[in-house]
Amino acid sequence: MTLNYAYHSAIAGIGATPFTKDSGRTPMDQAVEACLAACEDAGLPPEKVNGMVTYSAEQNPEIELARNLGIEELTHFSMVHHGGGAACGVIAVACQAIYSGAADYVLCYRAFNERSWHRFGAGVQDRPAGAEASEVSFSWSSPFGLVTPASWVAMFATRYMHEYGATTEDFGRVSVVDRDFAATNPYAHFFQRPITLEDHQNSRWIVEPLRLLDCCQETDGAQALLVTTAERAKDLRQKPAVIASAAQGAAEDQHMMRSYYRDSITGIPEMGLCARQLYQSSGLSADDIQTAIIYDHFTPLVLPQLEEFGFCDRGEAKDFIRDGHLGRDGRLPINTNGGQLGEAYIHGLNGIAEGVRQIRGTSVNQIENVENVLATAGTAVPTSALILSQPQ
Amino acid sequence: MSEVMTDEQKEAFVAKLRKEVGTTGTPTTARDPVNQPMIRHWCDAMEDANPLYTDPDAATQGPHSEITAPPAMLNAWTMPGNIPRVNDPKDPASGVYAMLDEAGYVGVVATNSEHVYHRYLKLGDLLTGTVKLVDVSEEKQTALGIGHFVTTETEYLNHHGDHVGSMFFRILKFRPGTGRTAGDGDAAAERPPRPRPSRNQDTDFFWQGSRVGELRIQKCLNCGYLQHPPGTRCPACGSTDMGYITASGEGTLYSYVVSHHPRVPSFDYPLNIGLVELEEGVRLVTNITDCDPDQLKVGMPLQAWHMQTHEDVSIPVFRPARVPRNPSTLTFDEVSVGDELPLCPIPLTPTLIVSTAIASRDYQDVHHDRDMALKKGSEDIFMNILTSSGLSARYIGDWAGPDAVFKNLKIRLGAPNYPYDCMTMSGSVTAKQEADGEHIVEVSFRGQNSRGPHVTGTVDLALPRA
Repeated sequence: MTLNYAYHSAIAGIGATPFTKDSGRTPMDQAVEACLAACEDAGLPPEKVNGMVTYSAEQNPEIELARNLGIEELTHFSMVHHGGGAACGVIAVACQAIYSGAADYVLCYRAFNERSWHRFGAGVQDRPAGAEASEVSFSWSSPFGLVTPASWVAMFATRYMHEYGATTEDFGRVSVVDRDFAATNPYAHFFQRPITLEDHQNSRWIVEPLRLLDCCQETDGAQALLVTTAERAKDLRQKPAVIASAAQGAAEDQHMMRSYYRDSITGIPEMGLCARQLYQSSGLSADDIQTAIIYDHFTPLVLPQLEEFGFCDRGEAKDFIRDGHLGRDGRLPINTNGGQLGEAYIHGLNGIAEGVRQIRGTSVNQIENVENVLATAGTAVPTSALILSQPQ
Repeated sequence: MSEVMTDEQKEAFVAKLRKEVGTTGTPTTARDPVNQPMIRHWCDAMEDANPLYTDPDAATQGPHSEITAPPAMLNAWTMPGNIPRVNDPKDPASGVYAMLDEAGYVGVVATNSEHVYHRYLKLGDLLTGTVKLVDVSEEKQTALGIGHFVTTETEYLNHHGDHVGSMFFRILKFRPGTGRTAGDGDAAAERPPRPRPSRNQDTDFFWQGSRVGELRIQKCLNCGYLQHPPGTRCPACGSTDMGYITASGEGTLYSYVVSHHPRVPSFDYPLNIGLVELEEGVRLVTNITDCDPDQLKVGMPLQAWHMQTHEDVSIPVFRPARVPRNPSTLTFDEVSVGDELPLCPIPLTPTLIVSTAIASRDYQDVHHDRDMALKKGSEDIFMNILTSSGLSARYIGDWAGPDAVFKNLKIRLGAPNYPYDCMTMSGSVTAKQEADGEHIVEVSFRGQNSRGPHVTGTVDLALPRA
């Protein structure tokens, strides 16, 4: 198996609303703004769009959005499963649609008021009982109070700490890096508000071993990305961010956020599956990546992602982080927009937009000589990842 | 006299109570000499399996060379048994108790017991105890009610006149119904039930099992593969012929979290949630009960029990497992200050509370008669203090080994041990010293139930050198 759409498509436009805690607007209104902004960024009239891809938990149907955007005909539309795990999956599916000829211009989007309308972090406490498999799966955790995303991730974190000697300070160092980049990004919620490791250690427990400052924000806002062929993108307004490859992965004995039953729970095999596909299809390796967007809904799972992509050996991410490699002058600066802890939590799509800016050379925290950018999607769920490259 | 007193009346009353402080009562001789049946009854009720108390062959090899009574039984021998109590007018403590009863302080609860053991009791020793009134406190507001603490000290001699031990003892005599009411009792009563498990034909066996106290794990009837959560087809061999085994319920903690926020009203926080690896090899998410968050450790041994959450639903949860008794004895050199004792759960069944009260010859009705316990201001029957001593000694002895010699046992009681709760013992080594040619280790311990610490205490143990 190989991904034959490598290097075929590109992200030609990016657009977002302001990221807020109380938008005062409907998510649909924000989705429209973000999509129009992405088209405007690319210099493409929105009615040219004939494909739309979003991912589960999205409450703005593409047909309504298309009506609002003035799109008359859609020849590809799909919903990728598993929430934030599909952040790069929507790009992979867009690439597949474009490579197959099913669509020419595809909008990928996410829009919600997940701070002011419903708190995403509250989890599944109110989920009613039912007999379908999707409900039954919660029976193995919810009756015991394991009902929030933070708690699901924390279970992996304790075991990881036990096996590899990582500490909550190592998680905190990820948070400090995010907030350092956010501090110089005017678009970030935590603009000009960096934190110290001491701040992290003093923040309150959410679910031990996770503290408040290990958890991403909840945000109101929208982000859209416009995908087309790399060839067509050349004729549009911006420098194309070529999609070297984009891949999805679900691994053996996969469960939604709670894959606790595998022989080992300290790695992320579904992310390893994405890494293998990306490197194989693009011909690139960890050495070719200058900066990365590492999905950071909760800091502990940043560590095994670094290991799955080969930036360090198994169990050694803590040393890589302690050596400062994720920061501004490190080997692999990550989340230069401030990440989902610092900028906003748009289920990973805002991070991909930052990857595009790093390729264009327009990031407020621009890394020098960027050739390839890695972006990853939500972990512990079936996931996805992609590599963006400079156009040839 | 049960009316509320003025300050002046109170002062006069305390002065009257204290008149006898410093005087001793009539020596009381045990009804029976130290004997094997009573020892066996005690060991059975306390689940104390130290063979030095019941097995003549083992005892011959032990430090005393013959059968000895469990040291914590010290004051059981002179207990009056189930005969009407007659207050001895010459006994200063009895006199004080009578005065307090008359004044309306009819509730009674023991709060402190400090045993000192000069030597272990042997079969045939006939004990005589002499009580001295040491102190009567001012009137105090306690959680249980308004009352006075009465402190006595008892010296025990055997029939040869040997001084075998002593006991410092404190009780609270209180007015029922004057205690502080628990603040969150109502909140707990209004607590919504936990999220109800979603179930279907593929998973019903699991919940039906928990309802009858079985932890059931899906098993492929073709190849024997075990899996949790259950599926519809065996991932190992492809068979759809699925059954289940009943797991032993023994497991270890593979990972855990302590949830603080957000708080779901169905649960108590902080909430211990564990990922338990069963000895059969599969894992499941569950709660770790009867254990403080800071007592959780990856690898700790656990035992399943089933918690009823709805009228028709129970869920399997786990508590620390009781570690088997140490059959050899720790040496002084093997033990370091800071060493932690393994946790030990003691499920508080009505049987345990009643049988231990009787085995320690404590026939106070509040320890076996629920109607009387309620009438005297208690929520239910509750564990007597001699049992708290006995179970503490069992816990320490099971860790140290059969040849460890108790030099003393000092306990203080807090939250009562009511039925259907669980008390979890924990402890650590807090001092080591050589004294009079003996190698003494001090252990501090605590027994915690769902209301808080029931017992806290210390013990000095003499351990062999090598």
